[in-house]
Amino acid sequence: MTQVRIAVLSGFGINCETETMAVFEMAGGSPEKVHVNRLVKGDLNLDDYHIMAVPGGFSFGDHLGSGRLLGNRLRFGLRDQVRRFVRDGKPVIGICNGFQVLVKMGLLPGDEEVTLTQTASLALNDSAHYENRWATLEFDSDSPCIWTKDLTRIRVPVRHGEGKFVTDDRELLDRWALRGQLVARYVDPSTEYPGATDQVLPYPISPNQSWRNIAGVCDPTGLVFGLMPHPEAYHSTWLSPDWTRDDEIDHGRAPSITIFRNAVQYSLQYQKEN
Amino acid sequence: MNNNVLRVDVLPRIGSGLTDSRAISTKKIIPREIEAHVKTIRTSLGYTIQGDFNQEERSNAAMDLFSDPIIENYSLDGTIAAGILPDMGLSDITIQVGFKPGVTDNRAMAAEDGLRTLFPGKKTSVASTISYHFWFVNNIPDIEPIIAVLHNPMLEQCAILDSDERVNNLIPFPILPDQKKRKPETIDLEVEDEELIDISERGLLALSLREMKAIQSHYRDPVVKQKRQDLDLPPNAPTDAELECLAQTWSEHCSHKIFAAKIHHKDMETGESSTIDSLFKTHIMKPTLDIQKEVDWLLSIFHDNSGVIAWNENWSLCMKAETHNSPSALDPFGGAMTGIVGVNRDILGTGLGAKPIANTDVFCFGPPDFKGNIPKGLFHPSRVFRGVHAGVRAGGNESGIPTVNGAIIFDERYLGKPLVYCGTVGIMPRNLSDGRESHTKTPTPGDIVYMVGGRVGFDGIHGATFSSLELTEDSPSSAVQIGDPITQKKMLDMIIEARDEGLIQVITDNGAGGLSSSVGEMAELTGGADLDLAVVPLKQAGLSPWEILVSESQERMTVGVKPEDCDFFEALAELHEVEATAVGKFTDSGAFVVRMGNDVVAHLPISFLHDGCPQLELESEWFPPRHAEMILPEVSQMGKALTRLIARPNIASKEWGVRSYDHEVIAQSVIKPFCGVNHDAPGDAAVIAPIQGQTQGAVISNGIIPRYSDIDAYAMTAASIDEALRNAVCVGVDLDLIAGLDNFCWPDPVQSKKTPDGRYKLAQLVRANRALDDVCRAYKLPCISGKDSMKNDAKIHGEKISIPPTILFSLIGNHKDVRKAVSSDFKFPGDRIYLCGETHQELGASEIAFMFREETQGKSGIGGRVPEIDTSRNMAMYRALTDAMQKELVASAHDCSDGGLAVAISECCFGSDSGARVDISPIMSDCDQIEPWGALFGESLGRILVSVKPDKCKMFENIMTGHACYLLGVVEQGDIITITQGETALISTSMSALRNEWKDTLDGGGPQ
Repeated sequence: MTQVRIAVLSGFGINCETETMAVFEMAGGSPEKVHVNRLVKGDLNLDDYHIMAVPGGFSFGDHLGSGRLLGNRLRFGLRDQVRRFVRDGKPVIGICNGFQVLVKMGLLPGDEEVTLTQTASLALNDSAHYENRWATLEFDSDSPCIWTKDLTRIRVPVRHGEGKFVTDDRELLDRWALRGQLVARYVDPSTEYPGATDQVLPYPISPNQSWRNIAGVCDPTGLVFGLMPHPEAYHSTWLSPDWTRDDEIDHGRAPSITIFRNAVQYSLQYQKEN
Repeated sequence: MNNNVLRVDVLPRIGSGLTDSRAISTKKIIPREIEAHVKTIRTSLGYTIQGDFNQEERSNAAMDLFSDPIIENYSLDGTIAAGILPDMGLSDITIQVGFKPGVTDNRAMAAEDGLRTLFPGKKTSVASTISYHFWFVNNIPDIEPIIAVLHNPMLEQCAILDSDERVNNLIPFPILPDQKKRKPETIDLEVEDEELIDISERGLLALSLREMKAIQSHYRDPVVKQKRQDLDLPPNAPTDAELECLAQTWSEHCSHKIFAAKIHHKDMETGESSTIDSLFKTHIMKPTLDIQKEVDWLLSIFHDNSGVIAWNENWSLCMKAETHNSPSALDPFGGAMTGIVGVNRDILGTGLGAKPIANTDVFCFGPPDFKGNIPKGLFHPSRVFRGVHAGVRAGGNESGIPTVNGAIIFDERYLGKPLVYCGTVGIMPRNLSDGRESHTKTPTPGDIVYMVGGRVGFDGIHGATFSSLELTEDSPSSAVQIGDPITQKKMLDMIIEARDEGLIQVITDNGAGGLSSSVGEMAELTGGADLDLAVVPLKQAGLSPWEILVSESQERMTVGVKPEDCDFFEALAELHEVEATAVGKFTDSGAFVVRMGNDVVAHLPISFLHDGCPQLELESEWFPPRHAEMILPEVSQMGKALTRLIARPNIASKEWGVRSYDHEVIAQSVIKPFCGVNHDAPGDAAVIAPIQGQTQGAVISNGIIPRYSDIDAYAMTAASIDEALRNAVCVGVDLDLIAGLDNFCWPDPVQSKKTPDGRYKLAQLVRANRALDDVCRAYKLPCISGKDSMKNDAKIHGEKISIPPTILFSLIGNHKDVRKAVSSDFKFPGDRIYLCGETHQELGASEIAFMFREETQGKSGIGGRVPEIDTSRNMAMYRALTDAMQKELVASAHDCSDGGLAVAISECCFGSDSGARVDISPIMSDCDQIEPWGALFGESLGRILVSVKPDKCKMFENIMTGHACYLLGVVEQGDIITITQGETALISTSMSALRNEWKDTLDGGGPQ
């Protein structure tokens, strides 16, 4: 049977590798915990994997800006491996701190040539502090993102202090929007789908006051995807904050697992075709 | 400027959708009286870097590492740090804050790591700073109060920059002055008694005369003398290293002398006169050992860093809670942070290494709105709160361990010493792949001793002995450390991998007492150890041998590894970028031998080190205290009283603080700290499902109610245990697999000139222990681990502030199926409301009694009956209710505790965002003396407020037959909570108004 091998990065304060591995396994993949240094030292090679995941955490304690130091380790220490991986058309996901890493190293929102040039950032939340609360995400159905296929809205926990997506180039922002790269946005759950807006929603619907309510973005190919919230933390129905209020609950896997299943399915197809 | 010093300063850009959020939150902590004068605040982060960089490298460092090209500006000449900003020009005044030399600087260490990535091989050294730039409306006000809130002079230095010379006045690179290499000393103990006491006090040894004399007589033993002569040690007297090592091992903090003491107890009420030979052995250990005979799941109790229980065939759970009170008083942030990362290490050091999966935090502070004078040397409680909260947040979040449960208690008597309890739950596979059981350590002589993780420095010298003394204004800053969660996380990842590879034979953490305790304790397992201090990696040069031996520098584990596994172990450490150094080996020589290179600096027989400390003999005398009775207002005042009560800090919502803890990392949190429609109603116990995707769970809860010790510490203890269990029952715990942890925090209970009421305080301790014994036996709730902190007094300028005797009882239990877990929020209008458990007229020391006492300036007292426990009645009801939950008949369950039934009803309504109609008539039959205040605001134990769907009521009532279980009313649509007694209206109030009161008190503010 074809196996989808997922490199789930670990080390230096990454701390969501356990649940990230678990959720890929539930999605039918074969995740492996890969310490960043094993790739840097050459014990392992990124080429041998089909998907790369940079999990959440507090790499290097978020000092010098969240994701900066780990981003640099990848940008300088693993530059060729990472670029080859992306240019080979293999899916990459960065969650929370992993998203910050991908943005700071320039892989997201990214460019066709994978130049690894930073064009956006994740600033301190307007509340100026770390928060753990649940939010509702809406996905752009026209996005090329392979991770969010068939998804409309999901509920997810957000757990971060620096998640306000910003850029210094508003033209770029429009271009990303046009291309469907602004794929995941905070949305008021009481509105009809589709209900995503550019107008910044009030706190706490938008927990961090991100520009255009952006929660996650993808690269131009739709293969590299990153988001501040934690879809991997809602793998089973009993992890929602209010499941005990649902009388008719049918327990099992939760909807956000689709994100991971999409990537595993994509990789299976990719392997068949290549 | 020195060419080898580079200053990079980074300023967040503002405008067009960007804000300086840090500046906005700074504004919130500026004292009110000054805030009005402040026009604008900006903040910038700075890095002072020693190293050789050319011009291009300087810009690269700034652009690729220190500043974010999208959202920040930078300067390379110190201008931004000094308040010369590219966008706003010159500040009126800039306050720059940086660490003092030798203090842990995590941001700087991260920067050094980042520089290594950019410039491999280049040697650099970094110090971090932060600058606060102020512009004022008119004139510059007195800024002393601002400076006071922006830095802690014990650890930090600051520069005030307002002149033309401001760039030249920046904080220079902090350099620790050269320490003179000091020769090991010998301490002559052949001196008068007064001199012995003086030696102990001068050296912060916290040893009593009796203990000093026991040491003196050890060195008079001819056999000891002969042995020492052979080793070239001073034959008649201890070396400084030996005396320090004994002081650490024998400290109250490490050896729990009061709990081991022989106590002569008198009860003036009953005439009892008896002798207790060790409270610990009699009332804590014995009941647990008796329970152990009846169950098969108590795997490891009392002797390890935490207690271990079998959770299922494949996994075991362990739990430990500790306090970090004294350090948190001196440096709330650093003290609390080391508290949480420290207790994480206790879990990592359990058995062959367990993985921390959940934290609990319970704090006791002075009132956040305290208006009285704060003695010099202490912080205002709101600052202690803020610092402790930030410390635990950083420690827990950065370690990737969810904070799942906790509590905050406020009382003026915690002004002197705040209590900071940090607990951690761990998990480990029952068996390792090599067949060894993970809860048993397997050291053998010849195993190599590794020190793993951080380095040893001047920080943290004398923490153990210092916490065994009362706090004074002269308390040493070296007793405080700042934790480094990332170094610890890297170490944790590495240790768990090493465990799974079968490389670990024995492991323990370096906490109190440093290497002297960790190696000294493990040496007991093989019968000896040989330690070489010369190879221990140091943060700074110049530590003398005894300092290396006892320093409590953080993030260190001591691990025993077989010689043949050392290469693999070291390779793993290198991969994870963790320092691991072989510092000695375990032996069976019968002695703990410490060397500095070739010189022996300490030789302590294991038996003397661990059993040589003489048993204390103490006096205790109980007489019940008298309190003025409570004056009950008119019943018509109840609604208003509820509104005031629910806003009191002890009851008010802690959501603002709790939301900034990650409570969901690891993706296992089933019942979270908050529940309900809007996720803002208070939960009871936490339920986690630690194996992702599986449905077996663990329940974590706590109970703490120090108020009751004003009447009787027996009642206080019983109530704390019942509260922990009740909380666990509310979520559906498996009552056949529950274990507890007892954490005592007491004021000094030893009668002396300083403590003229020591006998009474000791009698309180005796009564607390008896309650623990009685209740834990009755509930079959064995204590698997515990800790005591016995000197929670502060003496500042002659004024003594002692805490009320306080027990935190933590509980960990099994949950058979998390899909049947129950939350506290009412679910739907129409659901029936039941009160399970009996209500008695027990308003003594209740929260409302304290409220009325404050409101009447003491006219109304806290006297009256304090809640009494009936363990068999409670347990029978708990079992029946659990049965109903298993059959999925219970829609919600909420603990009835602080503030009584009225508060519980309100909180359940917050969760459903609705009203309720309740008639308390049925519960009036529970007791002859009951009246409405007692019924609604009394805090009788063993009560749980439950709601049930109408179609399940009959089955529910059938199961509850034979137990107190009263149908009181119904959940209603709308906003009104109505409480009556028959036809008499007692309370009718708006739920949302009540909720606003409840939320406002401790709300730290949302975004701007």
